[in-house]
Amino acid sequence: MDNFSGPVKTDCEELLGRFQATESIRYEQFVEIWRGMDFSSIFHGKPEPNERRRFARLILSVVAPYFFPPYTFQIRVGGLYLLYGLFNTQLATPREKIRIALKDWKDVMQFQKDALNAKHYDVVYVFRKLLSDKAFYFTAMPTPLNFRIKREDGRKRKICEEFVDPPSRPQELVTTDVLEEIANVHEHYEGVKKAVFTEPDPNLNIVQQNLVPKLNSAVFTYSSWQMNRATSEQQDAGEGPSNQESSSRAQLLASIKSKSYGQVIEASKSRRHRQAELVPAAGPDISPKVSSKKKRFPSLKTRTQLRFRTQGIEDEGSNLTRLWCLSAVKDGEMEPEKKKKKFNWNPDKSSDPT
Amino acid sequence: MAESSTLICEENQHENVPVYEFMDVNSKEFHIGAFRDLWLDVLNPEVYSYSVTAPEIEDVEFMEEMGIEPKTLEELKSICSVDSLRSGHDGTDNVPSDLHLSTLKLRKRRQDYKETLTRYTVDRHEVYANEMEMTSVGKKPDDLRDLIPEGEIILTFNIMYPILFRRFKFVRAYQTLHVLGSQKLSDLRDAICCVSDLQVFGEFSNTPDMVPQFISKDHYKSAFFFFNGTFFNDTRFPECQDISKTTQEWTRTRDFPEFKTAKMEDTSFYDLKMKVGFPYLYTHQGDCEHVVILTDVRFVHQDDCLDIKLYPLITHKHRVVTRKCSVCHLYISRWITTSDALAPTDPCLFCDQCFRMFHYDDKGNKLGDFLAYAYVDPGTFN
Repeated sequence: MDNFSGPVKTDCEELLGRFQATESIRYEQFVEIWRGMDFSSIFHGKPEPNERRRFARLILSVVAPYFFPPYTFQIRVGGLYLLYGLFNTQLATPREKIRIALKDWKDVMQFQKDALNAKHYDVVYVFRKLLSDKAFYFTAMPTPLNFRIKREDGRKRKICEEFVDPPSRPQELVTTDVLEEIANVHEHYEGVKKAVFTEPDPNLNIVQQNLVPKLNSAVFTYSSWQMNRATSEQQDAGEGPSNQESSSRAQLLASIKSKSYGQVIEASKSRRHRQAELVPAAGPDISPKVSSKKKRFPSLKTRTQLRFRTQGIEDEGSNLTRLWCLSAVKDGEMEPEKKKKKFNWNPDKSSDPT
Repeated sequence: MAESSTLICEENQHENVPVYEFMDVNSKEFHIGAFRDLWLDVLNPEVYSYSVTAPEIEDVEFMEEMGIEPKTLEELKSICSVDSLRSGHDGTDNVPSDLHLSTLKLRKRRQDYKETLTRYTVDRHEVYANEMEMTSVGKKPDDLRDLIPEGEIILTFNIMYPILFRRFKFVRAYQTLHVLGSQKLSDLRDAICCVSDLQVFGEFSNTPDMVPQFISKDHYKSAFFFFNGTFFNDTRFPECQDISKTTQEWTRTRDFPEFKTAKMEDTSFYDLKMKVGFPYLYTHQGDCEHVVILTDVRFVHQDDCLDIKLYPLITHKHRVVTRKCSVCHLYISRWITTSDALAPTDPCLFCDQCFRMFHYDDKGNKLGDFLAYAYVDPGTFN
């Protein structure tokens, strides 16, 4: 079932991306996209035993994080609508519930309050409807935990950057309250200094005089730069690469770094045989782990079998006496062993027929 | 002083809100009773009750809360109704023909693959699993006194079977138990089924008819749970000894923090401090050790099994294929023989009838040289 989590995430992000593009949080817009993608058919298909319930659980747990911070308000609304849609169109009975952990409940209440204050009645209605349908499990942790240490790292926790507000740490640090306080302290300090020293001594000018206005302008410059960069990137997407000031500098830096780390110093002619090799960093090693499993050195048993098969001695391989089967096996009833072809969950892109 | 007490209160609150210790692996420790109280503080009781409020009352409440007209509410209801979400397909068994969702593409591939497999028999173990589910899902008790109170916590434990053979090291066999927060640890202990509880000791080749009726479960009653530095011992019966004593003495000689002991039958789950997703230990029979993981802690829901008599409830069992007699392959084996000159393998399994026919003559004399023990198949719990 874990194999479905990749495609499920892709589909959900596609839907949320389209919702984000509409720049509205009305339920009608959401339903249009939902119907356009025919999203309720995500549950259709001939079920394996228990598959419907396990799939419903999986998709609800994949979508639930979109309802919480750090995603933007619009994405959170989209997540809520998506949960509502999935909860009501799932095929398992009794219906699988949405899990909310205690640590996230405060955010949920705050979200509802914000929606109510902004008079987004459809958001509030949808949430209230889910509550009254008893669609939630109130739990300790967002998913059941089984001490899985060996899970592939980095695969599950990727946050789609477009759904998150751009980082605004300077604005969070230097708020108007903070600026006011600093201004007050500054005044107080200057006042005390003047009271102690009647003659202003230039050596005592340790603090910048116009600290508060400078802070203010720095934060303002940063936020306007951010907005410009965001809009210029959007323009870039349509026009192709163009040289904007800030991005070009970043590109220059990146290219310098890659040149310095990527270049391998060529050995002198006498030592050419000991050419240094560029080994990729530890980061990408995680993905080759999956493919390296297939390239594992074959076991002794496999090697023996291969060797004997190629030499033409086939009798020894297939007629192992089965010690718990004490009755004699009639000749001719042994079916030839079928080679079971294993299902490949991740086909290569080149061989994907769809 | 009032400030410091509210601060302490807030700290307590923060302490008992479960958070991840390692992302997606396990949580930090928290007190279960306090966790429950924190949730109860923030939730409206209607939200977790079993009863459903009448739609008219709901509408009135909603209009009051949002300050809107009935007309707006009607509009909202029609826009946000569930019917708008349903697609036009009548059959849900078939994947729709135009596949643009990647999930459906994967599912179609898997379905096509399954159809190429020639063998498709209904797994007998699936049938057992379904039966087990049927007995408990959504069950309401006949007697209202047995109804689980609203606001009760359900804990889910995964109990792993002990790995005794190297061959089974790669299979994570476990059973899942749901237990109520108000129940005692001894209730959990009683509900765990382990095949080692049923073993019968003794060599019976000379006296095959005299297999004693007692089983290990009755003989060796001591057990303990080990949670977060405390050993919870079973002291209900006079035969129970404190088997954690040896471990504690050993730790005192090494560099370990001091471990505490407590009684299993006096502690309910609300008194415990646990980590979700973290492996703990259950030992019985002296050395049969099981890893126990608390996977989930949540409030009881109206769709759960609400009969208190059925808890602790087993929801998942790892089923083992039973091993049949080597002779007839029909009956489940009850005897295991070693150093048997007559048998093809060492050790060898026999069912009762084949065992007697094979090893004893008409008068009941023992033929040949062998040692026979009573065998309990791990599949007895299927």
